[in-house]
Amino acid sequence: MTGSRVPAGSETEEARLGLAGSRSAPLPSWVVPTVAGFGSFTLRLLGAALLVQLLIALAPGDAVDLLPNADQLRPVLAAEWGLDRPVSERLWLTLGRLARGELGTSLTYRPGTPVTELVVQGARHSAAVLIPGLLTGLVAALVTALWTSKRVVSGRPGGPELTGFLRSLSVVPAFLAAFLLVGGFNAAAWWGIEHGLIGRPEWFALPDTDSGLRSALAVLLVGVASAGLTEQHAALHAALRELRAAPFIEATFARGAAVWPHLLLNLLPVLLELAASRSASAIAGLLVVERMLLINGAGAMLWQACLLRDVPLAIGLTLAAALAVTTARLVADLLRLWLDPRLRSVL
Amino acid sequence: MWILISTLTMVLAGNLRYAEDQAPAIVNPLFGSSMAEARINELLFQSLYADDPELATIPLLAESGELSPDRTEMTVTLRSDARWHDGTLVTPADVVFTIRAMKEAATASTEAGRVAFISEAVEAGERSVKLRFGRAELRPEDKLTFKILPAARFKSTTVKRTDAFRTAPIGSGPYKLLKYNEDNSISLSATTTSAGVAQITMREVSDKNYQAKLLLYESLEALVRVLPRDLPLLQNNRKVELYPYQTNSWWYLGYNLKREPFDNPEVRAALGMMIDIDALLAPIGTGDRLSGPFVRSSPFYNHEVALDKKNSAGAAERMLQAGYTLEGGLWTKGGRPLTLKVTAHQALESAQDVAINLQSQLLSAGVKVQVEFLQDAAWKSRVWSAREFDLLLSQWSFDRNEDVREQFYSKGSRNFVSYSNPAVDVLLDEARDAADPQVRKLALRKAHQAIHDDRPMLFLWTLDSFAALSTRVKNVLVHPFYFFSFVSTWEMK
Repeated sequence: MTGSRVPAGSETEEARLGLAGSRSAPLPSWVVPTVAGFGSFTLRLLGAALLVQLLIALAPGDAVDLLPNADQLRPVLAAEWGLDRPVSERLWLTLGRLARGELGTSLTYRPGTPVTELVVQGARHSAAVLIPGLLTGLVAALVTALWTSKRVVSGRPGGPELTGFLRSLSVVPAFLAAFLLVGGFNAAAWWGIEHGLIGRPEWFALPDTDSGLRSALAVLLVGVASAGLTEQHAALHAALRELRAAPFIEATFARGAAVWPHLLLNLLPVLLELAASRSASAIAGLLVVERMLLINGAGAMLWQACLLRDVPLAIGLTLAAALAVTTARLVADLLRLWLDPRLRSVL
Repeated sequence: MWILISTLTMVLAGNLRYAEDQAPAIVNPLFGSSMAEARINELLFQSLYADDPELATIPLLAESGELSPDRTEMTVTLRSDARWHDGTLVTPADVVFTIRAMKEAATASTEAGRVAFISEAVEAGERSVKLRFGRAELRPEDKLTFKILPAARFKSTTVKRTDAFRTAPIGSGPYKLLKYNEDNSISLSATTTSAGVAQITMREVSDKNYQAKLLLYESLEALVRVLPRDLPLLQNNRKVELYPYQTNSWWYLGYNLKREPFDNPEVRAALGMMIDIDALLAPIGTGDRLSGPFVRSSPFYNHEVALDKKNSAGAAERMLQAGYTLEGGLWTKGGRPLTLKVTAHQALESAQDVAINLQSQLLSAGVKVQVEFLQDAAWKSRVWSAREFDLLLSQWSFDRNEDVREQFYSKGSRNFVSYSNPAVDVLLDEARDAADPQVRKLALRKAHQAIHDDRPMLFLWTLDSFAALSTRVKNVLVHPFYFFSFVSTWEMK
C-alpha cells in the first residue's frame, strides 16, 4: 500500500515549509541523541545562556553603570557581580554556576530577588497567553485546512480562495494592526462614555485592565501573528490532501465508514510537529505582545533585563525559554514515536 | 471591626493610583537609583529634616538640632512620638545605624554621597544623636534629608541588596507597604485613619505616551509629570487638574573640551551663535531661557549675565578666527568639513525634537550634525565613564541645595565635559566653605558669570513642569523633587 496518489504540488509545499518528511521520513538528526541522552539538550540550553551573556557583555555599559554613583560603587559591586573579570572568565563562571543549579539573584531589575522567583512569576503570566495562543493557532489552522482540502479534493469552489486569503494574512503587519485596534477600541469606547452612550466597559482601558478582551487579543496575536496561521494551515492542508488521497481513506470512504477519525489520528504527528516548531516563534512573539498590552510576563521581563544589563535574570529567562522550546520538541518527538510505528522502525 | 473601619475609611478616602514608567526596582533607601524609588521612599520613610511647603527646612523625625559654635558638630534630638510602622520608637540607634550603613563601603549604598559630610555619628542620650562633620557646615540640616532606617531590622551595617528588608520594608512615613502585586504595582496604606488618601497604588505603565490617556480614562488619579505634548489634552478635560511646579532642572548642550575642535573657545562661541535657542524650545513646551547653571528663580542665578542669542555674522567671524573657511556651504578646515555628533539620552523627553531641530539649524549654518540616542547603560558607559562624545544634549536636575560643584569643579565627579578653570574652582570652594549665605550667593553668582564666559556648555532652558491629578483629589501640593512630601494634606473623595 505504498503507491498512494499524492496531489501535485504537495511535496513542494511541504519542502518549502521545511516539513517534508515530518510524518514518515527519518527524525531530525538531533532527536536521536536527545532520546539517547541529555547531551545535546544541555548544550542547547547552555549555548543559549552563554550567547545572552556574551551579547550583553558586548553591549555598551554594565549593571554598575546604571547606578547613580557608579564610579564609587564599581570596586565593590564589580567584584561582587563578577564584572571585573574578562568576558571569557565570566562565561566559565556562569557555566559553573549553572552546573551547580544556581541562577543567582537579579542585579538591577529587582536587586536581590532570586532569579528563579522572577522567572516563575514571569513564566506564569506568559504561559497564560502562550499555551492558549498555540492551541488557538493550531485549531484555527486545522479547521480551515479541513475545509480547504475537502473543497480542493472535491473540486468545489472556496478552498483556493480561503487559502489565498490566509496567505495574504501572512503579509499583514499583525502587531501593528493589533496596536491600532487597541487604540481604536479605547478611543471609540471613550467617545461613547463621554457622550453618555455606554457605561464604562469592564475591559477599559484595554492595555491597562486585565480583562477577557485583552487576554483574547493577546492569545490571538500569539496564535496568528508572524504568519503562524498561514504556515500551519499550509502544512495541514498539504497533509490532508495527501491523506484524503491515500488508499486506506478511499477504502474507508467506500465502506461508508466515518473518515474523520482516521484523518485526525493520522494528523496527530503533524499537529505535534507543528506545535513544537511554532513554540519558538510564539515565545519570541511574546516579547512584542507583552510590551504592547502591558502584560508583565517573561517576554517583557527579558526586554527589561537586557536594557538594565541584568545578566543573571536575562540568562534565567533565556534558559527558561530554551527549556520550554526544547522540551516541547522533545515531547512532540516522543509522542510521534509512540503514535507512528514507522518512525520507530527507522530508528 | 478593625477591617470594617479600614475598608470604610478606604471607600471614603479612596485609593490614589499614580504611574511610573518603571516600577521601583528595590524599596530600600540604601540602594535607591531612580526617581520612582525616591517617590515611594518618600511615602514609606522619613528623614530627620524635610521641606515645608515654602521649601524651607523643617524638623521631621528630629525635634530640634543644636549646632556647635564652630559648626563642626550637631546634636539632633528626636521626636518622642516618632514610631516605625511596627509601633516601635524611632531611636538614636536607628539614625547612627543608617549613617554608618550608608558610609560602609561593603554596603555599596547609592546614597553614600549624601552622608559623606558626616565623619562620625554617635548616640548622645535616650533621644539624641551627635553628628560630627568633616568641615564646618553652614546649614547641615539642609543635608539631613536622607531617609532613616530601623536598625533592628538589620544584622549589621554591611547591608546587602539581597537583604530581606526589600520584601518587607518598615519605615516611619505616612504610608506603609500593603503588598507587591502580580502586575508589578505596589499598594500602600495610610498609617492613620485620618489620612485624606487611604491607599496609594504605584502602577507601572511603561509606555509614557499612554499615561496621560489612562488619567483621562480614570484608570489613574495622578501623573507625576505631564509630557508637553499631552498638556492640551489634559487642560481641556474637566476631570483633570494641572499643577505647575518649579524644578531645579536645566537643559544644556555640553562640549567635550578634550576633543578638537571643541577645545577651541572660538569654535564654541561660534556654535553658540549659530543656534536659535528659542526656536529649539518652542516646539517642546514653555520654559525659561538660561545663561548659566542655575534656574532663574535660584538665589545663585546671575541676572546680569546676558542670554545667548543667534548671531550669524558673529558666528562667521569666530569661525574665520578659528581657521575655518566656508566651502560649499560648509565650514571647512584642512579640507575637512566641520562635523559633530550630538549624543542624547533616549529617555530624555522631547530630546528627539530638539536634536532634529538642532541638526537642521546647524546644517543651515554650515555644520554637519549626526545624532545618536543612547539607552541608560550605554549612556553611562560612553558619556559618564569613557567620555566618548562630541556634544551632549542633556539635563541636570538638582535638589534644593543646587550644588553644581561636581559638574564644574576641575575634578568634579560629574564634570563630563572636562571643564577646568582654577578661578571657578576657588569660587566653588568658597561657596562650599562659606558660613555666611550672602558670601555663598555672591561666590556662586560669580561662578555663573565665569562659567558662562568659558562656554563649556551652551545653557538652554528650564522647562515648565506640570503634574496632573484627578479633580477627585483635593488640597494638592506637590514637591518639585519628591512629589509626595506633602501628601498628608491631600484629600480624596
